[in-house]
Order: sequence, then structure tokens, then C-alpha cells
Amino acid sequence: MSALPSTPATARRRVPAIAVVAFIVAVAAGLLVPAVVSSQLALTLMTQAVITAVLATGIGFLMRQCGLTSFGHAAFFGIAAYTVALNGKFGVLPTELAIIAAILLPAALAFVAGLGIVRMPALAFSMLTLAVAQAFYEIMLRWRELANGDDGMAVRLPSQLFGLDIETFQQPGSMFSVCWIVLVVTVAGLWLLSRSRFGLLTVAIRENEERARFIGYETVVPRALVYALSAAVAAVAGVLFVLYNAFVTPGTLYWSLSGEGIVMAVIGGAHAVWGPALGSVIFFLLKDAAGDLTEHWPAIIGATLIVVTVLVPRGISGLIIALFQKLKGGRR
Amino acid sequence: MSDFVLEGVDISRRYGGFTAIDTVSIALEPGEIRGLIGPNGAGKSTLMDALCGRGGGTTTGTVRCRGQDISTLSERARRKAGVARSFQKTNIFLDLSVREQIGLAGHMAENDNTDEVMEALGLAGFADRRAADISYGDQRRLDLALALVGRPSVLLLDEPAAGLSISESITLAKLLKELAASWKVTVLIVEHDMDVIFSISDRITVLHLGKILADGPGADIRANPEVVRAYLGTSVA
Amino acid sequence: MIQVINGLVYGSFLYLLAVGLVLIFGLRRVTNFAHGSLFMVGAYIAYAVAAYLGFWGGLVISVMVLAALGVLLDRFVFRPLAREDAVVTLLVTFGLLFVLEDAVRTIWGKDYLTVPPPPLLSGVIPMFGSTFPVYRLFVVAVALAVAAGLALWLRYSKVGLYVRAASVDPVTTGMQGVDTDRLSALVVAIGTGLAGLSGTIAGPLLALSPSMGAFIIIDCFVVVVTGGLSSFTGAFVAALLIGQVHNLGIVYVPELASMLPLAIMTLVLLLRPRGLAGAGR
Ligand SMILES: Nc1ncnc2c1ncn2[C@@H]1O[C@H](COP(=O)(O)OP(=O)(O)OP(=O)(O)O)[C@@H](O)[C@H]1O
Ligand SMILES: [Mg+2]
Repeated sequence: MSALPSTPATARRRVPAIAVVAFIVAVAAGLLVPAVVSSQLALTLMTQAVITAVLATGIGFLMRQCGLTSFGHAAFFGIAAYTVALNGKFGVLPTELAIIAAILLPAALAFVAGLGIVRMPALAFSMLTLAVAQAFYEIMLRWRELANGDDGMAVRLPSQLFGLDIETFQQPGSMFSVCWIVLVVTVAGLWLLSRSRFGLLTVAIRENEERARFIGYETVVPRALVYALSAAVAAVAGVLFVLYNAFVTPGTLYWSLSGEGIVMAVIGGAHAVWGPALGSVIFFLLKDAAGDLTEHWPAIIGATLIVVTVLVPRGISGLIIALFQKLKGGRR
Repeated sequence: MSDFVLEGVDISRRYGGFTAIDTVSIALEPGEIRGLIGPNGAGKSTLMDALCGRGGGTTTGTVRCRGQDISTLSERARRKAGVARSFQKTNIFLDLSVREQIGLAGHMAENDNTDEVMEALGLAGFADRRAADISYGDQRRLDLALALVGRPSVLLLDEPAAGLSISESITLAKLLKELAASWKVTVLIVEHDMDVIFSISDRITVLHLGKILADGPGADIRANPEVVRAYLGTSVA
Repeated sequence: MIQVINGLVYGSFLYLLAVGLVLIFGLRRVTNFAHGSLFMVGAYIAYAVAAYLGFWGGLVISVMVLAALGVLLDRFVFRPLAREDAVVTLLVTFGLLFVLEDAVRTIWGKDYLTVPPPPLLSGVIPMFGSTFPVYRLFVVAVALAVAAGLALWLRYSKVGLYVRAASVDPVTTGMQGVDTDRLSALVVAIGTGLAGLSGTIAGPLLALSPSMGAFIIIDCFVVVVTGGLSSFTGAFVAALLIGQVHNLGIVYVPELASMLPLAIMTLVLLLRPRGLAGAGR
């Protein structure tokens, strides 16, 4: 990033106290929840919700910084999951290294592909990401010798991982905390990045790519980097998924997973870095409330997506921010 | 030769079969303010596009910056070489605050002059407002600020006062002249108000139908019968 | 050789659908994510009607219903969202995809359904030393007829002229007093009507399932991007190309077949970044 010398003064603002407090509260809550919630079923569902929240956060970050909607983030999620799974089958790397590879590989793929596709019209980008992801899905579906195709494969994991007992990752109670903390740290990290010079630059490119060039910036590499980063976040979600379930199916690559991530990001509102994660929580509550209606879950998702897109384009986080600003303004 | 800060030699640009500028040559001396005038569609913006590397059409000819050939460089690389520009049609980042975007544009400078530029252009009062939420006149000055900040050596200003009132454009022109002198920048400026352009320019170039019609000190241009017939005659009655 | 004709059959479907996407993209600069679902709905409607009125009755009704849906879609989705970012329409039609799939699943269930070809077209004919179902040739013939019809219509009718002008430059065309809204209702209806047509003729070839639409839209996207987004000729050539590649891939390298159309597309885009026809942005 030769275009980003270390100047800043103007771009770097102090982190407000409320953000620090929110971070600490969030981490503490993640550790407390399993102690309070005793239902294993609820914890299982919540763990799954948090894993999808990580995916949605990755998708949302790309929307926020680049204005691009990826319909193919399931590919990064699934590739990460399959990397860990196939490594277990063929025993190439120690699992810890395989996990790191499972995050770096999708990021690298996204970066290289991104150099080509981030400059396409936004619609073409959406269509292409979908097509590419689906191609990976079909490979896993058809190539039975590799990973059992549609039946999926059980994943061999060691008994210890990063010095923790493997049970930590497979019991809903402890895994909820792990996933939650990963989510909070991811959101916090991306939030800091969004306020950095790099974050501002990518928003500037989103707003007016031409002028960004005229003020002296390269505009493709930064966008490819954001794409790679958001792929890495999706991959982290994929890793959490595979550790928790110890099982993968081509479903982890299927477009409906990307779709769910998008819906969460839109409901939560991607203008705020934390919006998609919030969207996932709401999505999860909605699903719970839907009860018997879950049979028609797809229609509910679809209808919600339509309503939110049209009526609340900035999502729930947008509403919250507007409310917050109003309160602040009213007090003065 | 290489005394010139910016030099375009035999520049032509074609859009399909239409030649928007035809073998135009122009050379700017260090510190000069050069006025570029001509009727609508004469090719003024097109010449600026060619000089700063904006895409579109097919361009031929050579552009040099302090003797270095920059003809094949991207707009970004030309900015790094010191050529900055503003736009006739406001070209800013609507979703960033005034300070954020000037700060980004100011990254070129050794010592960041974002605050100085905001102060000079009267943007400091609403530095933290989103660009989309400020007035049109302020947006025009923001567009200008994006070119001014970061200590460029040459400024290409395409109608910086477009859409401003007469008194506003006179103030702006005076300000530009001061800034150019104190920061030692060379300026090529397009402006339709004849009083303004003649008062601030050291020298004037007249474009007409894509060709240079005349080139010289203001007094000579005013006296040039061809220029009067093609352009001045209609606007300065 | 038989494989080549099979590829042609799949390419024909892709073309019939891609044309609908190209038409609407040309006019409104948006993409209809639910286009594949309309194809699926068309197939199911034809299936349901065929039980009473036979294949041909199903064909007519399906096309008409889908064209009517197109008018509604234009009136209540594309037109109100015309001023918004294109991604908004993409997301809304994406939501529509979920709803349509669920509706069809609720009505007809998620099991595969099959439709017999009409008696008239149900035989086989000898070809290249083996036999080939007449019905497949019929599909190719329909696609060719539609392609030719559209080409003539776009070339010689007044509406066609506007559509072509709009697909090059929608803003200017809008300013020149062309009623984009009326034009758009017509054009979207044609696009969705064609989706109904291809859904109907897909019945006897592909098994019907609620997810058939999402499945085919993906190849359509590849076709449209490869063809250059707003080009009819581009879409035609790309559809035939991708249809071939897809089909040969499935026969010869089934594991990696899904990558081949993408490989072709990448190749095309590397050589011509704006797609085969080089237009569209
Ligand atoms: N992208 C383009 N494609 C085709 N023709 C163009 C394009 N840009 C400019 N032109 C034509 O080139 C000619 C010169 O345009 P240019 O914008 O340089 O004029 P100008 O002198 O800046 O006029 P104005 O005073 O109106 O700004 C005009 O006839 C214009 O129509
Ligand atoms: Mg101009």
C-alpha cells in the first residue's frame, strides 16, 4: 500500500469511550450467557446464529466499504470448512496450521479474483460471485471420491486444539462463548479499520472512484483487499462451523447460505459495521418467533428482505443511529 | 524547454470521427496563471482531460511535466508527479465529511496542509459535515480544495466558479491568485467571466473549435480582432 | 454429434431466459434475480393446466399468465425502484425468489414432477446413425424462431428501435420523450412471457422442482455477463457457447463441469473486458 503513507492526524480520531465500554460488555456477556441459559437446544441454536453472524459481518463489510453485494460468500465459508475437513482426511498439516490455511486460502483466492471483478459494474459483480460460488458447490456435489458428494463427510479433529480440549469447540455452552468472542473481536477490528485512512479511502472509492484516482490513489488493490478481508471473515465462520459440527456437506457452499448472510446484513443495516451482526440476532429471534411457520421460512426471509430493503434501506442499525442522534440533538 | 512546469505538445483528442481538440500545444511557466478561454464546446475541458490523463476518446501528442514525459502515465501517477485538477461538474465524495476527504487528498504532502486549505477556502466551519449536506457553493469550493490540498505543482482548474454568483466568483478568483502566489503553484484556469479571467491571468490562451486561436498577454488578446469575432464579441459587449 | 445437439438444447433455454434479462437490463439498468423463478413458475403453471387443456393449452396459458406477472412486476417493482440504486432491485427480486419458490413448494410439493411431451412431438427420429427425440429438436427450433423474431422486431419495429436506443443510452432516450414506463411494461412482459415459454417447453425435458429456477438463473447470469450485459447478439452467442460447454463438460469431466462455463467467461472477459459484444456498463 504505497498509496498510504503514515500521515493521518486528520483521519485518526480517538476511539470514543462508549465503544470501549460496549466492547467490554459484549465480551463479558458472551462469557455469562452459557451460565445463564441452561437449555442445550437454545445454546445450540444461538451458537449457529453467531457463526452465521460472523459470515454476515464479512458480507456487510464489503457492502459498506465497497458498495458491492456478494452473493457468493458461502464459497469462502465452505472452502474453509472443506479445507479443514480434507486436511483431516489426508493429514497434510497439523490442524492448527490447517485452520490458518483455511482462512488464508479463501482470502488469497478473493484477492486475486478481486483484482479482476471489483471494477465490474456492481450488478455484474453480484452475478459473478454467485456463479463462482455455485461452481464450487457443484464440484463438491459431483466429486464423490473427494468428499462423499451430497452425503457430506465427517471431519477428523485432534483431541487438543490451540491448547484447548476439542470438547471446548463441540459443546454448545463453551462453543457459544468462543464464537461470540470471535464475533465481537471481528466486529471491533473491522470497525477500527473502517475508521482508519484505509477505511476512508475505500469508502471514497465507493463514492467516486474517478475522483479517488485524481487525488492520487490506486483504486483496484484497496477494493480487492477489502474483498479478501471479507472473504477471510467468511472463512473464519466456516472454520467455526466445521469445528463445532465436525461434519461438512456441500450445503456449506450453497447459494442460500450466502443469501441468508445478505438478508441478515440488510436487515441489520450494513452502513454500521456492527449492523449485520445485529441483523443476525434479529433474524434468529424472528425464526424462533415464527414457530410453526418455519415451514414457510424461505417466504418469510424473502418478504422481510423486500420490506426492509424498500422501507428501511439503512436497516435496524440505521434506525438506532438516527434515534441516538435525535436524542443527542434534543438534549442540546 | 524543460523550464516549463507543464507542457502539452501537439495534443489531439478524437471521439469517434469527431476531433475535439486538434494539435494543440500549450506550455506553462513556473508560477504563471494561465487563463484558458473559448466558446462552449471549444475543447477547454477536453484539453485539461488530455493533460491530466482522464480517459475517453483517443489522444495523441506528448505531455511533459518539468521535462519528464508523462503522456503514458495514469491520472494517479500524474497527480504524484504534481498535476492536480478540479472539475467543471462537481466531483466530490458525497458520503465523506469535508475534513475526511480533504485529508485523503492531502496525503501527498510531506507536511499535511488539510487544515490550512480548509481555512483558506472557508470550509473549516463545517469540516465534519457530510459533503452531501453542504450547499452547492460550498461543494464547489470543496471540489477545488481536493485539487489544492497536498501541494501540487500545477493546478488545472475547470471553471471553479461555475454556478457561483458574480461577487462569489470575484472573491474566489482573488483568493486563488493569492494562494497561487504564496504556495508557488502554476495554474491553468478556465473561466467564462471575462473580467475575472483577465484580472487574474498572467497570460491567456484562446481555444476555438479545438484549435488555438490566440495566445498572449491579456491586453493583446482583447485587441485581437479574430478573438473578438469568435468569442469576446459576443460576451463582452 | 448428438451431444452437440444436446448442448444446443440447453443453450436454447439459456438464450430464451437470458433475453429477458437483457431486455430489462437494457431499459432499466437492473437485473431481475427472480427471472429463473418465473421460469420455474411458468413450468408449474403449464404442468397444472396441461392436465385439463393438454400441452399446447398449458403453453398458451403459461405464457399469458407470466406476461401478466411481468406487467405487475414492472409496475410494482421496477418502476417504483427506478430511481434507486440497481442493487435495491436486485435485493428485492432476490427476496421475490424466496417467496416464489416457497409458494410453489407449498402448492405442488418439493418432489420432482414430470411432464410428457405432446403426442405430436413424442417420437424419435434417426440422426447421425442413432436416434434423437423429436422434442429436443422442437426446443431448438423454438429458440431459433424466437431469436429470429426478436431480431426482426428489434430491427424493424418502432418499439424495437426505442429498445435498442435505450439499451445503448437509457437516459437520453428517456429525455427524447420516449415513454420508458410503457415501453418497460411491454418489454418486461415479453421477457417474462419468454420465461413462461421456456418453462413450459422445459417441462418434458427437465424434471420440475421448486429449485430449478435458482439453478438455471446462475448459468443465465454467466451468459449475460459473457455476452456483455445489454447485447442481444452477445447473449445469443454466449448462450450457445455456454450451453455447449456446459453439456460437453457434464459428459466428459463431470466433476469439474461447473467450472467450464466460468472458465469460458473468464477467457472472454480477459480478451474483451466488456463482454462479447463489448457494450454495456
Ligand atoms: N466523451 C465525449 N464524447 C463525445 N464528444 C465529446 C465528449 N466529451 C466532449 N465531447 C465534445 O468535444 C467538444 C469539446 O468539449 P469540451 O467539454 O472540451 O468543451 P469546453 O470548451 O469545455 O466547453 P464548455 O465551455 O461548455 O465547458 C464538444 O463538442 C463536446 O461535445
Ligand atoms: Mg468545459
